[in-house]
Amino acid sequence: MTTAPHTRSAVPPVAVPAPASRPAAPLLDVRGLTISYGTGRGTLRAVSDVGFSILPGEVMGLVGESGSGKSTVAMAVLDLLGEGGRVESGEILFRGTDLRRLAPAERRALRGDSIAAVFQDPFTSLNPALTVGRQIAEPLIRHKRLTPRQAAVRVEELLGEVGIRDPRRVAAAYPHELSGGMQQRALIATALGCEPGLLILDEPTTALDVTVEARIIDLLAKLCDSHHLSALFVSHNLGIVNRICQSVTVLYGGVVVETGPTGRVLSRPAHPYTKGLIAALPRITAERRARLPSIPGTVAKLSGPPAACVFAPRCPFAEETCRSHPQEMRAEGDGTGVRCWKADALATTSWPDEGGTAPRRGALPARSAPLVEVEHLRKIYGASTSILPWLRRAGTVAVDDVSFTIDRGEVLGVVGESGSGKSTIGRALLALTEPSAGTVLFDGADFPQQVRRGDQTLRRRAQLVFQNSAASLNPRKTVGQAMERPLVLAGRGDAEERRRTVAGLLTRVGLPAAYADRYPHELSGGERQRVNIARALATDPEFVVCDEAVSALDVSVQANILNLLAGLRDEMGLSYLFITHDIAVVAHIADRVLVVYGGTICEEGPVGRVLRPPYHPYTEALLSAVPRLAEDGSEPPRILLEDSALPPGGRGGCAFAGRCPRKLGAVCDEQAPPVRETDQGHRIACHIPLATLAERAPVFPKLAGGDAAAR
Amino acid sequence: MLAYTLTRLLYLALVLVVMSVLIFLVTQAMPGDVASMIAGQFASPEVVQAISVKLGLDQPLIVQYGRWAAGILHGDLGRSLVLEQPIAPILMEALARSLVLAVVALTVVAVAGIGLGVLAAVRRGKLTDQMVSGISYLGIAVPDFFWAIVLVLVFGSYMKLLPTGGYTPVAEGVLPWAAHLVLPVVTLVLMLLARIARLTRSSMIDVLQTNYVKFARAKGMPESVVILRHALKNALLPTITVLAIDFGLILGGVVVIETIFSYPGMGRLLLFAIQRHDLPLIQATILVVSAAYCLANLVADLLYAFVNPKIRHGMRTA
Repeated sequence: MTTAPHTRSAVPPVAVPAPASRPAAPLLDVRGLTISYGTGRGTLRAVSDVGFSILPGEVMGLVGESGSGKSTVAMAVLDLLGEGGRVESGEILFRGTDLRRLAPAERRALRGDSIAAVFQDPFTSLNPALTVGRQIAEPLIRHKRLTPRQAAVRVEELLGEVGIRDPRRVAAAYPHELSGGMQQRALIATALGCEPGLLILDEPTTALDVTVEARIIDLLAKLCDSHHLSALFVSHNLGIVNRICQSVTVLYGGVVVETGPTGRVLSRPAHPYTKGLIAALPRITAERRARLPSIPGTVAKLSGPPAACVFAPRCPFAEETCRSHPQEMRAEGDGTGVRCWKADALATTSWPDEGGTAPRRGALPARSAPLVEVEHLRKIYGASTSILPWLRRAGTVAVDDVSFTIDRGEVLGVVGESGSGKSTIGRALLALTEPSAGTVLFDGADFPQQVRRGDQTLRRRAQLVFQNSAASLNPRKTVGQAMERPLVLAGRGDAEERRRTVAGLLTRVGLPAAYADRYPHELSGGERQRVNIARALATDPEFVVCDEAVSALDVSVQANILNLLAGLRDEMGLSYLFITHDIAVVAHIADRVLVVYGGTICEEGPVGRVLRPPYHPYTEALLSAVPRLAEDGSEPPRILLEDSALPPGGRGGCAFAGRCPRKLGAVCDEQAPPVRETDQGHRIACHIPLATLAERAPVFPKLAGGDAAAR
Repeated sequence: MLAYTLTRLLYLALVLVVMSVLIFLVTQAMPGDVASMIAGQFASPEVVQAISVKLGLDQPLIVQYGRWAAGILHGDLGRSLVLEQPIAPILMEALARSLVLAVVALTVVAVAGIGLGVLAAVRRGKLTDQMVSGISYLGIAVPDFFWAIVLVLVFGSYMKLLPTGGYTPVAEGVLPWAAHLVLPVVTLVLMLLARIARLTRSSMIDVLQTNYVKFARAKGMPESVVILRHALKNALLPTITVLAIDFGLILGGVVVIETIFSYPGMGRLLLFAIQRHDLPLIQATILVVSAAYCLANLVADLLYAFVNPKIRHGMRTA
């Protein structure tokens, strides 16, 4: 804040007011809602006896992991449950009227008018064949009876209101011509059009990059405030909930386990499940935990009314009573409720943390040559030298002159947003894509060149784990067959021996050996990701690229997988390239970090150093956008980046110049930024002098002091 | 878009050049010798030789090809040996008749097939869907000539409502012309409808599960708008491809159907040319059929762009 404050647009964090004494009648009052889905194997009870209320002007978070029933509740309010879904019982009172008693046409008239929705994925929520403006206008024409001409005027107003600078152009554009952030703004504009009383927000920012997410959340908070909107905010992200919701309802296995004001629930969780969920979250804290606390087991699935506490099978505090009696919701005053009879006894007990802390490791002593050496790596996609002049393309620069090394036993994190080139770097390291220029050495050998010559032996030593655990496994092959494949290719052992190896690998990743005979669809997401890891380990690799390997997993499962990966590193001395958009995950597991933007490295160094000033302006923006819980300290003023800018790369200047809030001027556009070393192994590529960068206040003040954090 | 069309036209020209070479070579390799066929079975070798020289058949292949290709570029498709007439007018007439058949049949197929497909997708799993599926399978499973024969028997022979075959030009009255079209069109529709309906159904089902359809419903749009405005346009892409292929198919001649109904289209012309060993006619017919196929596909790709702005965008940049 001390330098160039005019270049920094800061907004104060959204205030979370203390809950009022509930005078007004609730806008939405859900009571005893029970929903089941008819499946091939009988009915599955998705939601059991759920109740909550939302006051006018209140934003309530509905939190839970996948399978908790949170989206089902939201869809039931909208009457969009889809095939097989059925509300068995309960009331959904909106402004005092039970929506369930209305005819389908009456409910449709409410949808998009008094009750509007924004869904998770902006990329697929807009119709690719219609202009954005037309899609925003639809509800205006339908519900408010505007003429198309009047609607067009209103559309531009709405787009302006959600922070789009050039409403006319955006209204005339097709969805694919807009960035994800702009698309989500357009969806929000659609929802606001008819001035609804209630917004249903189903994971509205989950598919977006963190810097974009931060801006959308700020926008939503501002709009809810200025329009006195109520919102049902469905999310799995506790940090986001902390930022925007006044109250929270936590769902587990289709049952409300806890409800209350956000501040209280997140800082003093009463239900064991809430405690576990918060404990399992990877955090940017001073001391590094060797292992994350985790919740064992998998999410409960009910087929009828719960006969015991739904969480008992996974609860470390469970007793006999918990397993034999269903729990009642106990009101605690100030809007708090807990479904656990032991809540008072556990008030001061936190979730067991078996891991303890471990010192952050700095760079390992340079005993030997690095395992992976990348020099001046460059990758251009889509370049074409056709004989037809109008088909010639310069191509898109995905990775631009990147150099780094990975030591044996080291975990190198790569952090960046979509389009930063981080996945391309990972693929190039495994010779899965041919570099356009530069060298990739694996244990001193030129990996891509060996592969070009048909020598695949290095592939056994370097493996890959992807994000999508389901798509990474062939649905027609059993787990055992999938895991055996790399062994067959490597010519390891006979059938009997391979079976033993597979069993050993499954045990190593914490799965029963009998899983070898199962098919991928019979496994949960976490189990499938364990299988993917086990398969990657089949050929005893030294190096594994984890490309967003934990991003699609629920918090409790993510903690399990991160612990597994950390354990394998410690036991087998594995090196990882850990690619992720989640800086907290990197802070937890990585030794060193590369922050990449537009195919170039902005900043690199040991984790503890990168998380403290001096920051590259992009790192600072990224860190300030990370949603956090109260105990991590209050939120700093956020640095807001433009949603999108010119496609970065290949223009000679700094790739980040187009979005940089601290841009100096033409020099940033025209000259490649100098790489300056602040400390051993900590480098920043920026035109701003290091001393100026170092003047900034730390984004995570608790990390600021002392070398203990750095080493 | 313009660049894209230009590129595609260039490729089309290339394909036709390659096709013309192949057609020329293949017809050369066919048994029999044109000159002796023209001269007749009992002609003396001198006469045959004279005809050969007159037609240029004694020249090297490359020269013969060059003369043929140059002729085509000037709009001269050569003379039919058997009919002893210029080929171009004969071919154009047959092509026009096939075009009429294709346009009428495919209009019916497109309207009815897409309609039934949408209906089945919307009523997925219900009786309507099962009936559409059942009829579709019947259409796919039973061969076209069977339908043709049944139709001829029922409407032509027993009920005597419609002519069983042949063709009368429009000039001799619209009604007789249309009456001759009915049975071939119905047979073609029975043959092609099922595939279009199935295809539309399955892509419609996919589109109905997308987020943008869910979002359209969340905006309170009535089902008719959701289905017609939001879903259908996006679901039509695969259907357009198959319709274009079918169009090429009919233009290229549906030999069995044209034969059963004695409909003088491209199929019968080609069959006639092959049976009578009329080499120039064979060559010209196949070349025109290839061109028709390529053009139909080009039109389909351009239609894609019309339906899907994302592809339009891709054409502008790629």
